Amino acid sequence: MKIDPTLHSAATASLEAVINRALRYDPATRLKLARLAGKSLVIDISGSDLSLGCHFDADSIRIVGQIDNPTTRLSGSVSALLSLALSERLNLTGSGVEAWGNTALLTDLKSIAAQLELDWEEAVNELLGDILGHQLANTARAQLGWLRSRGASGKRLLQEFLTEELRALPAAPQLQQFNDNVDQLRLAADRLSARVERLLRKRHPPAAE
Amino acid sequence: MTDKKTTHFGFQEVPVEEKAGRVADVFHSVAAKYDIMNDLMSGGVHRLWKRFTIEISGVRPGDKVLDIAGGTGDLSYKFSRIVGAEGLVVLADINESMLRVGRDRLTDRGVSGNLVVAQADAQYLPFPDNTFDCITIAFGLRNVTDKDLALRSMLRVLKPGGRLLVLEFSKPQSQLLSKVYDTYSFRLLPAMGKLVANDPDSYRYLAESIRMHPDQETLKDMMTEAGFANAHYHNMTGGIVALHKGVKP
Repeated sequence: MKIDPTLHSAATASLEAVINRALRYDPATRLKLARLAGKSLVIDISGSDLSLGCHFDADSIRIVGQIDNPTTRLSGSVSALLSLALSERLNLTGSGVEAWGNTALLTDLKSIAAQLELDWEEAVNELLGDILGHQLANTARAQLGWLRSRGASGKRLLQEFLTEELRALPAAPQLQQFNDNVDQLRLAADRLSARVERLLRKRHPPAAE
Repeated sequence: MTDKKTTHFGFQEVPVEEKAGRVADVFHSVAAKYDIMNDLMSGGVHRLWKRFTIEISGVRPGDKVLDIAGGTGDLSYKFSRIVGAEGLVVLADINESMLRVGRDRLTDRGVSGNLVVAQADAQYLPFPDNTFDCITIAFGLRNVTDKDLALRSMLRVLKPGGRLLVLEFSKPQSQLLSKVYDTYSFRLLPAMGKLVANDPDSYRYLAESIRMHPDQETLKDMMTEAGFANAHYHNMTGGIVALHKGVKP
């Protein structure tokens, strides 16, 4: 079913307002995005008529439904696009996402997103005032830092328990060694197959046409 | 018996040479409160219609854009930001009062350098042939006396490959929406006009002129007839408004 352009415009206008408002709290990211001025990105959701385009302007971004001849066009399912956006990988091989045009724009965007640092304290201050906002931000920062360090050490401990104590999973170096061995075996098998092929051809040369 | 040519002014038939003057009176009357009334009448949705027009226009940095019947400059403001210092936006309107409001508003919003203002009649555009990459006329074509003449004039000043976008009220696509819309236009709209702008007659004219405007298919045929290629349209808000697009071959 085709979405009425009015609804589509309402959605893109809201998204644009949220993103540009968020960018107000990260001047460094805004400056980096300004270097992309004049470029554009289109994301096509495969299996639907939905497309989302983004124009990068000098001081803001514009979200639209369609762009003719964008700098870069991406196409994939929602899950594939999301996992690409959230992962740290830079190449698209096996990601389920296809790209057309200048893929350097994607690399630039990934690198900008990785360094995104919104000054959310400023946003809170605008709502609650400097004193209360700062107190709240300090408390939230401390809690968040604690959670982050617990999360990191929890992940490390679980990893050690599964590999070293329980021996349920191989350690990363072992897995790497195994993968290397599989690669070597595959190459050796390919070589062997080529040799057998050559020997067979020698014994039974193809009949001249 | 008279052989004077007539045209419609809302639901009335008036001599052709009188229509422009009468439309001018309406817009002189509503100019000061045009923006506030637009927001009130459409619930702010006119901004979304214009946003979609800009999106479809495909205007790029460096382009030359003519915003006919640009009124208070909503489209011109956005276009001036898109075309940048290398481009040019011409805000044109036949009505001096509307143009003055638009010019002041754009100046207040810091638009300068790439925008010029021109008082011009859409039927006789005072620009050289093949000048613009894109022409828009938003909620203006229905007030033009000779629409065919205006379309031909726009075609002339467009560059080959240039786009014309006509944003205009049109025919709702469902019976139910059509009835609701009629009630709104002929009862609520003049009442709002009276309340906010103390000018119910002008707003009654706006509602009547919408009904007299060609529907989607007719306008598309008129554009093709005038010489535009690939004329097509997008219905918005159930067809209350339609955006027609054509390309100069």
